[in-house]
Amino acid sequence: MDTQKSPRRTTRLSASSTNHPEAAVVYNSHLTLDDLVFGDETISSDELLATLAGRRRQTLELLCHIGPLNSPMLPLFVYGGAATGKTSTVLQVFKHLNRPFVYSSCRTCYNPKILFESVLNQLMLHTRSSTNRYSSFKRCEKPSDFVNFLKEALVTVVKNLKENLSKKGSKKSGEHAKGSMVYLIFDNLELVREWDKSSTMLSFLFRLYHILNMTEVGVIFVSNASPDVYYSNAGSMDLFPLHFPDYSEDELRTIFMKSQGNSKLYSSFLGIVLKPYSRVTRRIDELSTAFLPLFQKYCEPLKDSGTALNEELKRKLFTHLQPHISSSLNEVFHAPTHSGGNFLMDKEKLRRKNSSKRLGATERVDEMDFHMSASAKYLLISAFLASRNPATLDASLFDSTGGTDSRKKRRKMSEKTKEMKENAEQELLLKGPGTFPLERLLAIFQCITSMSEDSLNEDQDEDIGFEVGGDSRLMADVLLQLSSLCNANFISKGGSCPLESSTRYRSLVSEDMTLKVARSLNFPLSKYLYRR
Amino acid sequence: MAEAPDDEFSPETFSGTFESNIQPFFVLHKALARKVEKKAPAASAGKARRKIDLSPAKLRHCEGIEGGCGDGENERCMERLRMEAFDSVWSKIESTIQDVLKKFNVNLFDDIFQWVCESFEAINVCQTSRHVKANRSYPIITDAASKKISIGLVLTKNLDFVDDLLTFRDLGVHLKSHGCHVANLSSLDFSAKAGIGGCLKIMLRQFLMISSDAADISVLAAWYSEQGLSKPMVIIIDDMERCCGSVLADFILTLSEWVLKLPIVLVVGVSTTIDSARKLLPSNVLQYFSPSKFMLGSPAEKMDAIVEAVLVKQCSGFNIDYKVAAFMRSYFLRQDGTLTSFIRALKIACVQHFSRQLISKGLSTLFLVEDTLGMPFDMRSPLPEAMLKNKVVERTGEKFSHALAESTRRKNYWSSVLLCLHEAGKSDNIQLLDLFCEALDPEFHKFVASDKNTNLERELGAKMSSDYCVYPQSFKKNGFIRQAVNSVRDLHETQLSQILENWERHTADLDEINEKVKELRSIISDEGKGSLQESINASRRITSRSNLNMGKETANEKAASLIKSLVREYMRPFEELHCFENADNLQSALIGDPRRQIQVDLLDVQKILKCNCCSKKGTILLPTMHDTSILYTLAQEHGDLINLHDWYHSFKTIINPVVNEKNKKKKSGTPKKRKARDEEPASISEATIQARFCRAVTELQITGLLRMPSKRRPDYLQRVAFGL
Repeated sequence: MDTQKSPRRTTRLSASSTNHPEAAVVYNSHLTLDDLVFGDETISSDELLATLAGRRRQTLELLCHIGPLNSPMLPLFVYGGAATGKTSTVLQVFKHLNRPFVYSSCRTCYNPKILFESVLNQLMLHTRSSTNRYSSFKRCEKPSDFVNFLKEALVTVVKNLKENLSKKGSKKSGEHAKGSMVYLIFDNLELVREWDKSSTMLSFLFRLYHILNMTEVGVIFVSNASPDVYYSNAGSMDLFPLHFPDYSEDELRTIFMKSQGNSKLYSSFLGIVLKPYSRVTRRIDELSTAFLPLFQKYCEPLKDSGTALNEELKRKLFTHLQPHISSSLNEVFHAPTHSGGNFLMDKEKLRRKNSSKRLGATERVDEMDFHMSASAKYLLISAFLASRNPATLDASLFDSTGGTDSRKKRRKMSEKTKEMKENAEQELLLKGPGTFPLERLLAIFQCITSMSEDSLNEDQDEDIGFEVGGDSRLMADVLLQLSSLCNANFISKGGSCPLESSTRYRSLVSEDMTLKVARSLNFPLSKYLYRR
Repeated sequence: MAEAPDDEFSPETFSGTFESNIQPFFVLHKALARKVEKKAPAASAGKARRKIDLSPAKLRHCEGIEGGCGDGENERCMERLRMEAFDSVWSKIESTIQDVLKKFNVNLFDDIFQWVCESFEAINVCQTSRHVKANRSYPIITDAASKKISIGLVLTKNLDFVDDLLTFRDLGVHLKSHGCHVANLSSLDFSAKAGIGGCLKIMLRQFLMISSDAADISVLAAWYSEQGLSKPMVIIIDDMERCCGSVLADFILTLSEWVLKLPIVLVVGVSTTIDSARKLLPSNVLQYFSPSKFMLGSPAEKMDAIVEAVLVKQCSGFNIDYKVAAFMRSYFLRQDGTLTSFIRALKIACVQHFSRQLISKGLSTLFLVEDTLGMPFDMRSPLPEAMLKNKVVERTGEKFSHALAESTRRKNYWSSVLLCLHEAGKSDNIQLLDLFCEALDPEFHKFVASDKNTNLERELGAKMSSDYCVYPQSFKKNGFIRQAVNSVRDLHETQLSQILENWERHTADLDEINEKVKELRSIISDEGKGSLQESINASRRITSRSNLNMGKETANEKAASLIKSLVREYMRPFEELHCFENADNLQSALIGDPRRQIQVDLLDVQKILKCNCCSKKGTILLPTMHDTSILYTLAQEHGDLINLHDWYHSFKTIINPVVNEKNKKKKSGTPKKRKARDEEPASISEATIQARFCRAVTELQITGLLRMPSKRRPDYLQRVAFGL
């Protein structure tokens, strides 16, 4: 960071930091106008275009729109899908131009107050520190205040910039701000739409340029969403749109090739994976996340052989990689175990496998990888049943005879109105898991627990000592269990007020999971599950 | 995890943990706690579901009533002794549990710390290569691959996350002590109501230790650069599933804008499966993660560690009998599944044991004697003054101490054999708790005692598939001890020697067994060497392999027969002088069944309120009774659906009999009329009745006994959950 500063300017501008000289000892809190520029070494236009591979047209357009030194510009609206290089391009362009700018992301600044204060802090070269209790330069919540403060700040900054220019005009300055224009960049503008329903904030931001009415200010918006979606909110917009389209496959290739050392190997790798993947997504971030483990897989056979890349080897690598591609296409998220515990884990797994093999099919090892109490398991199953089965069948499925002869009844019924039934089932399938009230859940729960209690007492578990209290024991904590199931997102709860009568639940568990649970309890799930 | 059972019982933790999810229970609990004090203490002291009052005053109160016959002085002395006994025993158990759990997690914590350091290093490398300035508002421009947030997913392996609250707190302390900046966020901080601002604010407060007005992450950046940029920042979130997904996503996206500028590492608890992250968060958030998985020990493992330390190894001299053990086991497996509740059960058992279980008053002193005796067998250690006065101790004297020593010795043998069995059963995932229960089972004892010299060996060795119906119950297919013994036969050589090593460790204090184990071990190791030598000599011959197998076979057989003989010899029933055996009391104290209790209490409210006005009349409804109680009693006359109009009118007739009297004037005698007039000088206005009615109905609704009318049937209320 450039620590050079003229004393006159600091006394005027960063009053807060001069008031507390001790802050400077801990951390270089004196900012100068030169901190408004990007800061690193400037890059030439060739470098600029080289770094922004695939964005040549947009970069040139952007440069063109921003224009030469000290020329006013209309507000610019940069838009395009996620990860198409909008923010990078804008920032790199400013790095190249070396002009002062203020960048605020509406993600980090998640409400108007923080956004305003962030802009003002940057403009006024204010640093938060323990001496000012990390407060911002000015408290500013209303747009009207913001306009006043902003105008004030801009006037000062522009004036100082001009003074700077005239003073250092002769000197060759590498890192000093060029020109007397200040650019305000608002990133992630689409988030502002969610801030308030009336979208006053959005129209305010769009009109900011006209409200300020200063030629020395340039405003640049960066957004995921196209300008169309803002029309309804902000009415007419006096913005110059600049679209960043998705990268083409060739552009993606150039981008990925740029960052790789072993270009030959990587290009052959890209030849395999880029095509299937670019059909799914063209986002750089998603692709690079997916490619990283795949490339490691790809290189696996190479570890020992230092041979040059030829066709044969390529084919070999391809056959090695191929099975992983389709599986990784569906995989969004993969968490490897940390290496420290790895060994232990493997050992454990091996042991488990061994033991399960030895015991054979008679005794299945509990396959669930987390602990659930039996009553929670039953509750999960009953919620699943309540969500999948139509409520009208409950009586026949769970009557005292245990649902054996009820099947006939059901069959008879379905024969009568077969077609209607089928339609209804189709509808049920499309709707997904149904909702159910608490009472139905509890009733089913009571049924299946009492049934399994019976079978339990018949064939095993004398040492469990469960028969002492009967099934009332299972009931005691049901609501607590239910709430913990809700917390684990296994059951969703509709309606917010627990007193409201209309609270309905819905099971969100997959059938596989439920089957696993049922298996661990030896519960005959299929017997109670209604199917066509 | 519940290291400090102390904390579990403190109201703070309760409100923190349960506030969000069991609001109704909380209401019930409050009401119950009051009742408990009014009821006869011996019967209902434990009825409160969530909070058991363990204050000394309470105990004294209990005992004062219970043992009311004794003379005051002696009584008070006994009380004090009981309290002392409880305090000393429980503090021992508690500290043991804490130690066990601490030991249990220490490896994982070190692992996590190491991983944090690695991630921090990686961030630092990126930072220095790119001249990052933390205080700049714009994000770093780099390739997407290096813009990742390290996230450690700690699988807690338990649906209920109560046990792990303290784990994460301890993790925070651990990381802090190793020089990280740590913020411990609760999942409740990520609520949709507070939004992103809420969790940022709490995070800032935890890092900065001061509250700043704006929850702006740039404050964190400013603070961090003042701190010298040398330590990693760790954010711990205890349970991801309970977080509001959108808020968590926003939070992570916000962090992602500061990635590389702020070296933030996330540690997140996951109570079910890794997949839940995928369900909760959108993919554009997930791709910012560079995740690592960490495994906490499963609750069953933790449970085994606790059972071993507390119940098997006898840290305190507090025992439980078979019934209680079986109850606690089934409660853990079937009901709650948290260690927290297991420890709570243990504590309640302990309290009950000392407060009311002791019929013979001397037994509490006995406990103290045994306590001092238990560790170094030192009878002459200073006993409390009061105890020396006690006649019981004087009378029993030396004999008593001998008996105790003998009992302790046998108990030690018993424990060691049990641990050996557990060691053997580990490969089959047999849990210590199961073995413990089975070993305590009187059926098992009977069996061992009845034919210990005949065919036990054969039976123990018999394969599970064989005719187990012949044998007594405990040797049915769930016979864990038999399974454990059997599993010894199928072990690999290395596993076997490992187990023998562990056996030797477990029996280190007991010479008799230790000798045997050592002997066996030396035999096996000799054999192993021999067969190894042989196999080397005759390198690829089938004979040598079969020979090796033979050797292994015999070694396994020997080990199995050793453990069998140990079981036969040392797992004899031994008469526990002082173990807690009242499972029913424990059950009612632990579970309490608040819903049923509320219904019962509403139906005979006189028992609790004990007012003069309505106690005499028994079950007849009187206007002086509590409105809610009247309404609930009236509701019993209806079925599932209650007609609102009928209900209101019957309520009205009861609280305002004046209206009634116009009709009944001839029928009802004067006394009732007079009485009614005494109590209700002026007839209550319609509005008041309606108001009271509404309030009572609302109360019933709040207790969860009623449901308000639906739109379809506006004049009917529905009764909810009877019998529950």
